[in-house]
Amino acid sequence: MAMPLKKSITCWLCILMLAMQTGSARAQSREYQVKAAFLFNFAQFVDWPAVTFADTNSPFCIGILGNDPFGQALDETVQGETIDNHKIIIKRSQTLDDLKDCQMIFVSQSEKGHITKILSDLDSKPILTVSEIEGFAQHGGGIDFYLAGTKVRFEINPGVAHSDGLKISAQLLSLGKIVQSAREDK
Amino acid sequence: MSWLEKLPLKKKLTLVILLTCSVVLLLACGVLAVYQSFDFRRTLVRDSTVLADVIGKNTRAALAFQDENSAQQALLTLQSEPNVSAACLYDAQGNQFANYVQSGINVPLPSHPSTDGHVFESGHLGLFHAVILNDKRIGTIYLQTDLKRMDERLRVFAGVGLLVLLGSLVVAILLATPLQKPISGPILGLAETVRTIAERRDYNVRIPIQGGNETGLLTDAFNKLLAGIEERDKALRGEITERKNAEGKVQSQLARLELLHTITRSISERLDLQSIFQVVIRTLEDNLPLDLICICLYDPNANVLTVKGVGTSVVALEKELGLTREAQIPIDENGLSQCVRGRLVYESNVTQVKFPFPQRLAGAGLRSFVAAPLLVESKVFGALIAARKESESFSSGECEFLKQLSGHVALAAHQAQLYEALQQAYDDLRQTQQAVMQQERLKALGQMASGIAHDINNAISPVALYTESLLEKEPNLSARAKDYLNTIQHAIEDVSHTVARMREFYRQREQQLTLTPVNLNQMIQQVIDLSRARWSDMPQQRGIFIKVETDLDPALPQVSGVESEIREALVNLVFNAVDAMPNGGTLTLRTKISEKAVRLALVEVSDTGIGMEEDVRKRCLEPFFTTKGERGTGLGLAMVYGTVRRHNADIEIESAPGKGTTLRIIFPVPATPAAVPGKDTAPFIVPSRLRILVVDDDPLLIKSLRDTLETDGHVIVTAGGGQDGIHAFRTAFESKEPFAVVITDLGMPYVDGRQVASAIKGISPSTPIIMLTGWGQRLVAEGDIPPHVNQVLNKPPKLRELREALAQCVASTRS
Repeated sequence: MAMPLKKSITCWLCILMLAMQTGSARAQSREYQVKAAFLFNFAQFVDWPAVTFADTNSPFCIGILGNDPFGQALDETVQGETIDNHKIIIKRSQTLDDLKDCQMIFVSQSEKGHITKILSDLDSKPILTVSEIEGFAQHGGGIDFYLAGTKVRFEINPGVAHSDGLKISAQLLSLGKIVQSAREDK
Repeated sequence: MSWLEKLPLKKKLTLVILLTCSVVLLLACGVLAVYQSFDFRRTLVRDSTVLADVIGKNTRAALAFQDENSAQQALLTLQSEPNVSAACLYDAQGNQFANYVQSGINVPLPSHPSTDGHVFESGHLGLFHAVILNDKRIGTIYLQTDLKRMDERLRVFAGVGLLVLLGSLVVAILLATPLQKPISGPILGLAETVRTIAERRDYNVRIPIQGGNETGLLTDAFNKLLAGIEERDKALRGEITERKNAEGKVQSQLARLELLHTITRSISERLDLQSIFQVVIRTLEDNLPLDLICICLYDPNANVLTVKGVGTSVVALEKELGLTREAQIPIDENGLSQCVRGRLVYESNVTQVKFPFPQRLAGAGLRSFVAAPLLVESKVFGALIAARKESESFSSGECEFLKQLSGHVALAAHQAQLYEALQQAYDDLRQTQQAVMQQERLKALGQMASGIAHDINNAISPVALYTESLLEKEPNLSARAKDYLNTIQHAIEDVSHTVARMREFYRQREQQLTLTPVNLNQMIQQVIDLSRARWSDMPQQRGIFIKVETDLDPALPQVSGVESEIREALVNLVFNAVDAMPNGGTLTLRTKISEKAVRLALVEVSDTGIGMEEDVRKRCLEPFFTTKGERGTGLGLAMVYGTVRRHNADIEIESAPGKGTTLRIIFPVPATPAAVPGKDTAPFIVPSRLRILVVDDDPLLIKSLRDTLETDGHVIVTAGGGQDGIHAFRTAFESKEPFAVVITDLGMPYVDGRQVASAIKGISPSTPIIMLTGWGQRLVAEGDIPPHVNQVLNKPPKLRELREALAQCVASTRS
């Protein structure tokens, strides 16, 4: 039963191309899935001062400032999870003010231009800021993601976090790339 | 395990202690080892878990943030843990995330995590542990821990344990020796004591009290047991001693019984008292330790005991005691009087008894004595006396024995006495029987003799009458005829005497002796004459010569007596003397006077014959005793003795074998000489011309009587029989020619003299009757003079007697 070789190669190529296309899309989706998981993980390796919660039943709020790159990934990640017995809610907003009662704010790529303003607004507030904007930590942000190869990595500016009253776990610190705030250099 | 049982207690105890210690220690060590092992494992698991937890915590961030490098770095920190040979971190999906393998070790890691928990595999511990983040499992950590260290530790532990064990054993040995002592010591002591007791049988031993524990209790109980055994032992010994005593008593009792039996048997074989006593005494002396033994007979009248038998031991004590045979012991108030009353007397100490006999014994050194009565039918006839030099030396058994023995002895003695009496009675009876037989024989002989005498008397009566008549009345007789007639008359007299002597065999002596003065000198002459045939004629036929001498005292007074009897006695003596001299000799007849207190006339008959033995001499006077065999009757000397006694005389016999014999009759001499009846001198008138009826069945006698009486001038009518006589008398009486006198014979056929006499007296009571009989002397002797008879005359009648009788009859008729 001899199948024509040409026909078969063509068939395999078609399948390969399709796979590559889908793979690219899936790779992107996976990146955010990881990032969403990382967000949740950060919340687990950082202690917030008690005052950040109105009461014990107050939810742990993750705010997404700007365009939400996670899609459903974040929601799925935190689905049913708690941080120190606080329910996790996700707030999405384009304005920082909406997110001021959040304990963690992901600054989207879309807010790249407003970093300084955002950071100054949030200065001294016990809110962990996370962004995928390059140099965000150096700019006074808390944590930023970066890709090392295919792997998602992050930078941590422990000074910012510390000055905001947050306690970042040493494990987290040992995993992330420690950066110094530029302002503090001044 | 037998070797263990055989082991001495000490070693056993030590061994037990050591074994116990070892086992316990081993057990402890084993348990400890197991525990250690278990604990070690638990600790290892815990440590591993903790380590895994720490590693998990340290790596959870890396896991959460999928940082393999960080995780790898974190795992590398395990290098500081040499036990951890490998580790592996898996993510939530179970994929290997990071791993660590100790350098130099090649171990495969599980590609996928198993369920949480630990598992001990060969040489290592595998542990899966969850990595938790915020209550959520984010991965699994796997730790592999090497167990080499644990094994090492266990080995070290085992080594230490072994050392400890050995050390403990040494210590245990050192401790066990002194420790087992409190246990084994008392038990060994107990055992030793028991052994000692068992060996020595000394139940007196006690074990020292050991204290209040079980050993003490045991000891105490054992001591009590011993006490019990000792008590029982004592009781047993006591009982044994008692039994032995009892046995000894029984033995001695048996011995005494045996002795009693022996004595009884031997005395029962004997029948004379003396030999019984001797046997008893000798057997007792041989078998019982006695210092004095004697048997006495009791005389209740004199109240004395006469010693009849003594033991040989008495000889030594004889001087002090004087208890020889036939010695007499007076009965004491207290001592022997009880005995002769039938009770056994036992004086345990004679020195304290103040009576003569006990004192006598005490004087001889004797201290205790038993006097046993010889009792028969509750009458004491003697006593058995036994004595000893020791006081209190007779036991109750011996007393009883002596009592019983005395009973047997008494019985035997009594039997002996009875036997003697019986023997005596038997002898007497035999003698009496012999005497009776002899008498019967003599009686028959006498009767025969009497008949013969009667016939002879009858026969010679005519001879006597005619001879006398001829000599008296015939004037023309030549001298020669006279001489012949005289000789005939002497011969008739001799015949008459012979017949009379024949009667002596049977006739009884007259009860009343008609004593007349007797001239013994004259009588001796008569005796010599009468016996001449025996001492002269008969010996000479055999060529033997007997010389007869007389030695007569002319002054000898007359004695009073029956002449014929004395003569007969003397003749008997002469016959005996002659018989005693079978080879000849001298016969001496002697008379003499003995002038002692009373005058006595002695007549001696001596011979020079064979003499007599003493026992013959003693018995020679007994009737029927004879040394002459069939020749003798045994009556000669007996008759002599009878005569002598009747004359109040005595007889003496002097004799010795070979020396001859002298018999002496000693007559008392009467103070006044007896008056000589004037028989010969009394004058009487001979009646004449009497009408006389003579009745006799013997025609010769009738004829001779008629002839002689008719010569005297009488008228004689004769009758040949009793009936004829009576008829003749009656006829004469009725025809007024009565007879003046009737002379009748006694023995006649059909009608005898008595009937004739009574018939005649019936017809004419006044007619005197003279009975003429050959039985005459016998009639007189028997006092059987028939009634109606006035005179009895013996045949052969003497004319003189006949005339005298007629004269008396006529005189009495006339008066």
